[in-house]
Amino acid sequence: MKNRLRELRDERGWSQGTLAEHADVSRQTINALETGRYDPSLPLAFRLARVFELPIEQIFDDA
Amino acid sequence: MATAASEKLVTRRTVELAVATLAWVATLALANFGPGAWWTGEGWLNWLAVSLNLVAGAAWIIVQVRYLRAAGELQRKVQLEALGLGLGVGFVAAFALVVAHRADLIGFEVDVALFAVMIAVVYIVAVVVGNLRYTR
Repeated sequence: MKNRLRELRDERGWSQGTLAEHADVSRQTINALETGRYDPSLPLAFRLARVFELPIEQIFDDA
Repeated sequence: MATAASEKLVTRRTVELAVATLAWVATLALANFGPGAWWTGEGWLNWLAVSLNLVAGAAWIIVQVRYLRAAGELQRKVQLEALGLGLGVGFVAAFALVVAHRADLIGFEVDVALFAVMIAVVYIVAVVVGNLRYTR
């Protein structure tokens, strides 16, 4: 699944650690998500959507 | 986990898991080597050692579950895959060796400790590989 996490994080000038803190996950998890090696659970996808104040489908794309 | 509170919890659970693992191994060594090495002919000491090992084992299982609950979802996935692999390899190898031994295909005695070591090695390697796979 593709995602815009890196792009959205860069727009806000956040490090992976900062985003990890906002989403309450490890920096390792953010890194794995950004590189596409790991797909988030539904609760984590919702948390990330809340962090970026965007609908989930504007962050994740399963096409 | 990222927030200070959740990070602290994971660290605490990891330490608990390490202590519980060491405690189980120590009580297992006591129950296994104690009779004969440290005492002889004391039946109640044998029972005490075995009981201690069972209690330590039960605590170890509880602590392992608590650790998995505290871990982040990616780490849980790594652990799940490693545990599945360890258990699978352990079972397959164990039954294959037992059957091979009964059919006189192998000369050496099949010891339960061999499977414990095999599971542990596979688990540790799988955890390391899993972490590298998701973070490299």
